[in-house]
Amino acid sequence: MTDILKDKVAIVTGGGRGIGRCVAMLMASEGASVVVVDPGVNVDGTGSDQSVADHVVREITQAGGRAVASHESVVTMEAGERIIGTAVDTFGHLDIVATCHGILRDRMIFNMTEQEWDEVILVHLKGNFTLVKHACILFRQQRSGRIITFTSESGLIGNSGQANYGAAKSGIAGFTKVVARDMGRYGVTANSIAPRAFTRMVADVPEEAGKLRAQRGIAGMPGGEQLVGADPEDIAPFVVYLASEYAASVNGQTFLVYGGEVAIMSQPRPVRSIFNDDGGTWPVEKLAPLAREYLTKDLSNPAPPQPPDGKGGRG
Amino acid sequence: MAGLVRDKVAIVTGAGRGIGRGVALLMAAEGASVVVVDPGVSMDGTGADQSVADEVVREITQAGGRAVASHESVATMEAGERIVGAAVDSFGRLDIVVTCHGILRDRMVFNMTEQEWDDVIAVHLKGTFSLVKPASVLFRQQRSGKMVTFSSTSGLYGNSGQANYGAAKDGIAGLTRVVAREMGKYGVTVNSVSPSAATRMFVSIPGEARALRSERGIMGASGASEGVRGGPEDVAPFTVWLTSDEAAHVNGHIFNVAGGMVALLNDPEPVKTLHKEGRWTVEELIRVFPATLGVELYNPAPPQATA
Repeated sequence: MTDILKDKVAIVTGGGRGIGRCVAMLMASEGASVVVVDPGVNVDGTGSDQSVADHVVREITQAGGRAVASHESVVTMEAGERIIGTAVDTFGHLDIVATCHGILRDRMIFNMTEQEWDEVILVHLKGNFTLVKHACILFRQQRSGRIITFTSESGLIGNSGQANYGAAKSGIAGFTKVVARDMGRYGVTANSIAPRAFTRMVADVPEEAGKLRAQRGIAGMPGGEQLVGADPEDIAPFVVYLASEYAASVNGQTFLVYGGEVAIMSQPRPVRSIFNDDGGTWPVEKLAPLAREYLTKDLSNPAPPQPPDGKGGRG
Repeated sequence: MAGLVRDKVAIVTGAGRGIGRGVALLMAAEGASVVVVDPGVSMDGTGADQSVADEVVREITQAGGRAVASHESVATMEAGERIVGAAVDSFGRLDIVVTCHGILRDRMVFNMTEQEWDDVIAVHLKGTFSLVKPASVLFRQQRSGKMVTFSSTSGLYGNSGQANYGAAKDGIAGLTRVVAREMGKYGVTVNSVSPSAATRMFVSIPGEARALRSERGIMGASGASEGVRGGPEDVAPFTVWLTSDEAAHVNGHIFNVAGGMVALLNDPEPVKTLHKEGRWTVEELIRVFPATLGVELYNPAPPQATA
């Protein structure tokens, strides 16, 4: 323990289990007072169990730390505001927001229902906005604050069976970059973490997607083979670092974290381009050969066409 | 050329104006039958004007092409299915879906209302899902199909004042990457275009965000805001090419199109890695990060003194 978050107040969503729990516990042991937010739902978002957050609070307080539970679901603006209120009412101020909450409803795109789409987008994407918006009002006034969101390789790279989750998580990455630009001038930082860890969220990925991933080999599930042994506890130290005063200049970045690895993800950049020398709108017949023979030549296809029997081979 | 997408049937959303209109017109000129989807809303999503889509259909048919109008808003699953139905009922099949629709409700995140968030997410993100899903059902059965979604440099780089739009557009990029993996095996391709074009969408960016952008200087600008080159019609040639059989090998990629430039964007990838056997401690990270990953780390909006 280094007490690097001494006297800080943190909100950790999804703080009852998995990565969120590890983040909440480590923040507390580093001196922060923590609002452990978790409605205790199942991985698919159903049910609720207050004891999930309460248990983490008990663990923290028994170890001599300070924590309070919130059983709110983050999906409404009112809940977001109430969670912020809980931090301020209980501990006097707010310095850190880490949004580790999430649900999964995996399904191939052609079978995905409206509800599976809506709920995943709601919990992940809106559930970040509800908290971050209200935190930003406070952070802007006090001219300080740390926001750490959770994106996913599923969105950054694309995991089969996760159109809803990939969209939501990629959306969180974009959201975080905008918030970093909106809030950086006020001394606030916003960064995003793409974790790899073997939690119940991963264990829940349906078998069909698992099989598809296996078929696709290495180009498929990002890091899927490396997950065994990837512990959610491995993610927490870097989250705490980002939440500390030491990371005051780290803003608008996306980090990949797993095991003993911490990596900065690339910013989007052009890798190949073609230009119309003549200016003006490009005639299709002039663009086509350049697009075909240079811009897209030898591009990798993450899922090449297969014959109808689906048993290997490339069509 | 005038035959790049001959005998194909295409749905183009947001096709009444801007980039969508340019795509619909060129798609028709290159031989496709086009469902021109546009409810004719104003920039912020309010109002409705059927003549916006009708006018584009008239332009296409007067030039000898084939097109029908759909005045649906794409924000519901039912509308998505009806639009796919319109293509099949009018032209017998569906080969191409291009989603150019969108609205803007810019606001700094600390002032953004729930409705400004919800409306932008619903139109962009759900509006893309509502079409991509029923199209994927069809494309999987026929084992062919081309989809081009529209993401934005706003999401990829982060534009101040666009938390809703940036989230939605990066969400579309994520959706595109997943659907590319799911549908590629069926001979379907899904790619995304991040355009930089001077359309009314840019013109409506509020002054505060504009001022912030210019303060940030060249590194801050996303290219979408200040580096605007060319017009909306410049985005069409590459977009239409992506939907042609010539581009059958292109799947799961994001392209930036601005004026007479088309760029393939990199896939997100780790650029610098800290590695250790076992778990890092916070103390170690404090010691090691600044001299490694933290070197020359770009802060898009450094803290400023209180005015």
